[in-house]
Amino acid sequence: MTDCKEGIDCRTAVQQLWDYLDDELTPERMSEVRVHLERCRTCLPHHDYARVFLAALSSARDSDARAPEALRRRVMDSLRAAGLNT
Amino acid sequence: MAIDTRSSTSAGGAEEAPGGGRSPRPPSPEADVGTKDIPGRLVPEMTASPNTTREGDVRFEAEALPFIDDVYRFALSLTRDAADADDIVQETFLRAYRSWHTFQPGSDARRWLFTITRNVFLRARERERRHVDLEDGDVEAASTFATHGQMVRDGADQILSRVDLAPALRRALDELDEPFKSAVLLVDLEDQSYEAASQILGVPIGTVRSRLFRGRRILQDKLITYARDAGFTTAQRGQRGTKDD
Repeated sequence: MTDCKEGIDCRTAVQQLWDYLDDELTPERMSEVRVHLERCRTCLPHHDYARVFLAALSSARDSDARAPEALRRRVMDSLRAAGLNT
Repeated sequence: MAIDTRSSTSAGGAEEAPGGGRSPRPPSPEADVGTKDIPGRLVPEMTASPNTTREGDVRFEAEALPFIDDVYRFALSLTRDAADADDIVQETFLRAYRSWHTFQPGSDARRWLFTITRNVFLRARERERRHVDLEDGDVEAASTFATHGQMVRDGADQILSRVDLAPALRRALDELDEPFKSAVLLVDLEDQSYEAASQILGVPIGTVRSRLFRGRRILQDKLITYARDAGFTTAQRGQRGTKDD
């Protein structure tokens, strides 16, 4: 798959690439994947692609979505009817 | 949307669980809610909870209610229907209020509310739920990057750098089935960790991981179709020319 000879192999790196980008690996394994990516011409494009994809996905969040005023009133009315006393 | 909470007792909606780490569960957000379901709409019973106190009410208003926009956005992403989202938000806050005494001060109220939101959503569509055989997360991860290889071969990867993908991804997310959709929404759009998502979804971290990776792969497959339709693939280039021609 690649000419990498040291550290983790490409199979391991690819299997953990999402975890790496999500910052979900141990510090040691984060370092191993990072070192592999710095050296591997096969895996680095996968990493770059995945990073762009995740950035695009994050931007798909509708940050402007706000609960409508009528819903806020409805929630408060139901909470007060259920006993909320503030 | 018919919401039935009468027989619910678990926090999870846990179904398939092919291994993986287990995390401590948050306090149960499933205290007796006192709701009744009528066809089409949810009608909460307006009875006072015996577990509330004035001090608790003040804390609830200060610590839980400010997340109403987050809960609404999550509910709307799950349902894609404003009326259904409204029902889920109302039910979520009623449940949260009634079980507020189980909430541990200092823990993550937003995460706790997401847990309740997802449970309300699942109960509402329990009969529609699809049970999916999940593969191991590592297999999912590897297959994702096989998809990338296919995109490169097709020339579809150009789309990543040349087009605003957010609208296409929103449409793709709308079409994404559960349980993958919730995993992607929580981790990729709401910035929850695997562990937090595991607590919200009531499944092991390994299950979150495999659902998340599968969801991402499905979204990427949809992007390939989008790229093809937009003329960004070599196949299209050969047949009809590209936008650059």
